[in-house]
Amino acid sequence: MINTLFVNAQTVGVVLDDGGVPLSDVNVYFSDQEILINTDSEGVFTLQEETPNNSYIHFFKAGYATRLIKYQNGLLSKVILEKLHVSLDEVGVVESYNMLGNSKLTNIEKKRISFLESSSMVESITQLNGVDMISSGLGIQKVVVRGLSGMRVVSYLNGMQINNQQWANDHGIGFTDLGLQEVELIKGASALKYGAEAIGGVLYFKDYPFISSEKLKGFVATKFNTNSYFSSNQFGVKWGQNNFHFNLYGQYSIAADYRLPNNWYLFNSRFKQNALKFSVAYRNNNWQNIFRYQLHTEAPGIPGHIHGDPNAASLIDLTSSSLDLSTGFATSRPSQNVNNQIFIYESNYVIDNIRFNFYAGHFINNLQEWEKWSRPAFDMDLSNTQITPSIRYSNNNMTVHLGSQITMLNNKNNIEDRLVPDASSFNVGPYLTIDYDKDNYGLNSGLRYDYKNLKVNDQTGEFNIDYDKVFSSTSFSSGLYYKLTDHIFRLTYSGAYRAPHFSELFSDGVHHGTNRYEIGSAELNIEYANQFDLKYQWFNNHLGIVINPFAQYISDFISVNPADTFISGYKVYNYIQYDQVEIKGVEMNLHYHPHALHNLHFEQSYSFLQTKNKDDKYGLALTPANSIKTKVLFDFDGVFDGWEKEIKKMWKHLDYISLYHQYKFKQDSYAEYEEETDAYSVINLQLGLNLTERFLCTLGVENLLNEEYTPHISRVRGVAGGIPSPGRSFNINLKYEF
Amino acid sequence: MKKLNYLLAAFAFLAITTMTSCSKEEDSCHECHVAYMLANGNEVAVDFGEFCGEALEDAEAPGYTVDIPETIVGTDTVPAGTYGNGNMEIHCEDHGDHDH
Repeated sequence: MINTLFVNAQTVGVVLDDGGVPLSDVNVYFSDQEILINTDSEGVFTLQEETPNNSYIHFFKAGYATRLIKYQNGLLSKVILEKLHVSLDEVGVVESYNMLGNSKLTNIEKKRISFLESSSMVESITQLNGVDMISSGLGIQKVVVRGLSGMRVVSYLNGMQINNQQWANDHGIGFTDLGLQEVELIKGASALKYGAEAIGGVLYFKDYPFISSEKLKGFVATKFNTNSYFSSNQFGVKWGQNNFHFNLYGQYSIAADYRLPNNWYLFNSRFKQNALKFSVAYRNNNWQNIFRYQLHTEAPGIPGHIHGDPNAASLIDLTSSSLDLSTGFATSRPSQNVNNQIFIYESNYVIDNIRFNFYAGHFINNLQEWEKWSRPAFDMDLSNTQITPSIRYSNNNMTVHLGSQITMLNNKNNIEDRLVPDASSFNVGPYLTIDYDKDNYGLNSGLRYDYKNLKVNDQTGEFNIDYDKVFSSTSFSSGLYYKLTDHIFRLTYSGAYRAPHFSELFSDGVHHGTNRYEIGSAELNIEYANQFDLKYQWFNNHLGIVINPFAQYISDFISVNPADTFISGYKVYNYIQYDQVEIKGVEMNLHYHPHALHNLHFEQSYSFLQTKNKDDKYGLALTPANSIKTKVLFDFDGVFDGWEKEIKKMWKHLDYISLYHQYKFKQDSYAEYEEETDAYSVINLQLGLNLTERFLCTLGVENLLNEEYTPHISRVRGVAGGIPSPGRSFNINLKYEF
Repeated sequence: MKKLNYLLAAFAFLAITTMTSCSKEEDSCHECHVAYMLANGNEVAVDFGEFCGEALEDAEAPGYTVDIPETIVGTDTVPAGTYGNGNMEIHCEDHGDHDH
């Protein structure tokens, strides 16, 4: 159904509920313009700019069904939001605008990113089903999707692919939650527009939209935890009027070594982070231009560093019995210095049913790894230029995306010492996707061809490489969607490929961050992956269920395995290739709101994953253990209505209380050189407070029972028998919005 | 007024946590050791002094050597000899304290 809105050098409308009552504080998001405004007390929203026809507008308010509308000018109209009996948006099919595609037709998951929610953005993302993390405390964290990570899980930040030497487990995600609104996730190779080589999946991180406001708006926020004396401080200012908008954010974070459950401190798990982010947008009729700049620097320590066999190390040698706050934050060795800069220019032109988009981004990553005080072990600049012209055509039922992603990557060592060589690559990836969505069924189909030329020319030190090879292949995705009363079925079949990375081909040296001497293989070939994904959803007013079995088959899977030799005191690891690997599993979600107690939310997710290496009797390395994640949340909204005034006054600041429990099963499917990992439970508790309408606070305890555990995919599980994750931590997070 | 108090409290908290979390300048002097590797792959560290500035650079440079006498560390004996420059490694990074 097309809704129409009146326009006269501005865009105005009114939002009502299904009883005709105006709705205030409805988020009205102009997706193509990336502008967010809110309705006033009379349900009216006004954007002091014209909106091109066929732009998408997304209406959202908690407790109401979201709406996605294609804008047409000329007629006055209203937008009706249906009141939900309870909010089941996590399991219901939600109309929303997604960068990764049509969420009705494609299995896309979304997560709001909130500064108040947890100590770390990556930790909050792991609440999504099938998502885990490789970490060694807060300083180094990487996302794992259905057992795959590193080069196989591609992260995008505002459309720019993050290339920050992510091939290694000690190289983190490269940015923080500063200025971010949400993340979209496709598991597996279905995100063709962004998904060259993303056989594990694509994470698309989006900034908070621009606003339209005469007054400057913004926030200041701070968080602190007692486990590592972690302190993170952020500010943000936003303004927008007369077709011009800007956002500015800044952050400073610092942490000391984290405390283990036995009250020892993991030496050198400390870190520092700074970030600055600036975005401006200017519109001229149907033409919009956006420029973004982001600077992110960090200096994480590399804990668990050992010479010799890491398994033979003692935890005593890697920890301290106490923490001296006067020195506990100071950078030690080994450590990394990371400097990331992102420049983005994006231009959109919308006319009739067509949206033209031109995207140009440039990402510069400098990574230094310091084992010595006076000189780094390696110092590399990795620059990535990405140009993506694209066209979107949409009519009532069909949307076609046609585009091409052009990527130029250059890796340059700044010193003679090096682990990986100088290298460059040029990649062109034209793609076409078609989405057809009508009534209760739909289908999507997409095709992408990539031409990648990798050149490695390095005769420095021990390297003597002259390599020039082309990797070309086709990726595809196809899916069916069908809705039968309250039952929804979504079936996807996708295929993708991943060319070997220059680190996998030509590594030759000590990698202090992983306690290894790593040796690549120039004989490696392309990995090919095929995935089947079936998603079934059912929901009524109080209960929602999702069942999502999947299977992925990867041929020529590149892995790294230990040898029985040591070089320079470090165990040697060789890059090899397995003929065939299988990854199978099922993910399930349960979401329940008791009828007698609508304020109580009960959510539970189940993730079962099995990996199999067909070349031997073992599983794959770093396969996450099966898990059950449970969240019980009680929302205090309206609870005290009708109570005595004094009691209401006393408790009015309560927003919610939540308990989160993660149970990890024992992991007895592992690679030949790994060991079984025990089961464990972790409980987190959080209390949300509205100190005032603008001053929000959360108080929390993470690892409430001080459980001692080492995840199977911990970065330091193979060191000293497994270094435990952080013990109990009390947190306070504050945010003031103005 | 109450809102202003909350805001001031928040800023004060922000300021305090920021100021107290600032770190000291990196200490430029560090204890260096010979990383003597045993046959079983374990390392025995033999300290040979604290180095600062240019002396630290020299100690970490390729080709640097140090003579150490026979040294007993726990149950392991490190023979006397000239180390560095290909004969074992020299490291100057810090480690956690062993005062457990």
